[in-house]
Amino acid sequence: MAMDLLPFFKWCDETALANAIRDSRFIFPIIESIHILALTVLVGTVVVVSLRLLGIGLKNMPVRELADGLAPMRNASLAVILATGFMLFTSEAVKCFENPPFWVKMKVLGCAILFQYTVVRWTTRAGHEPGKAQSVAVAVLSLLLWFGVGAAGRAIGFY
Amino acid sequence: MAGRFTLTGVEWGRYDASSGRTAGWHDAKPDMSIIEVCQWLQDTEVGTHIRESVWTFPILEGTHLLTIAISVGTLLVMDLRLAGLLFTRWKVSDITKAVMPISIFGFTVMFITGIFLFLSQAVKAYGSIYFKLKILFLVLAGVNALVFELTMRNKIHEWDADAVPPWRARMAGICGMILWAGVIAAGRTMAYNF
Repeated sequence: MAMDLLPFFKWCDETALANAIRDSRFIFPIIESIHILALTVLVGTVVVVSLRLLGIGLKNMPVRELADGLAPMRNASLAVILATGFMLFTSEAVKCFENPPFWVKMKVLGCAILFQYTVVRWTTRAGHEPGKAQSVAVAVLSLLLWFGVGAAGRAIGFY
Repeated sequence: MAGRFTLTGVEWGRYDASSGRTAGWHDAKPDMSIIEVCQWLQDTEVGTHIRESVWTFPILEGTHLLTIAISVGTLLVMDLRLAGLLFTRWKVSDITKAVMPISIFGFTVMFITGIFLFLSQAVKAYGSIYFKLKILFLVLAGVNALVFELTMRNKIHEWDADAVPPWRARMAGICGMILWAGVIAAGRTMAYNF
């Protein structure tokens, strides 16, 4: 399956955007800094909501209100992460194709986004007070998935 | 003489082939220049081990990055409340009390891993303008927090429930966010400078 995607990766590698990013010494580091700043914001919102589900911090604030208050930050940072992430990827798409941590990251990222917008959303929905077991399971999985994305992402550079 | 200092099974002394002697704690002299101190730090067994390891460096750096996200990401929630932009129906002290322990935990791990990462490439870091910028932003973020603690914390009961806190508190929140963004951006850029 993965092999079938090689032409797409090659096409990404040759777009005008990819060339523009490669041609400049400064654009890649700038985009990567923005990527990491947005990642910091996203992880912050995930950590605060997950710890609240685990019963740590902001105990007197309903889970729903906390999740709703942080939703704009989470959505905006995720949008910035995906946009800058695509730019970084396209500038070295073929390199990514041969990079195992890249594939791990994409799979875990897909799971994390899916989990966030289905299970976490459902757990923190209006008028619902999640039980202890559900809260702990959702919080731990959410933290593991997003930290997994971060760790795999860092590993791309080490491989 | 070849002194040895061991801690948790790691030997903090190293045989230096160029001078034919062991570099270790006993080699630190009061009149060393900063660059000599950096060289000595990265020549210690711990510095060398981290630099030459397959796993220690990536694990340290991965942990450093994730704990920065934990520390700064949660601090952001507090700074946004101070700036009057988030959770304005809730008391500043409630948000602070909930967020600070997480942030301090993240900061502690980040700081410790950061020191070990620095140890492993002290000379390079010392020569990097981005490392110096990062330290500058870090110090300024500390000063910002200290000024807030000294001038605003003792009067917090006067404005705790205000949706929009007094300008000094808002400034502390906004400056905090900008300075931490600077720490992260400069830290990431260090890698391109190396």
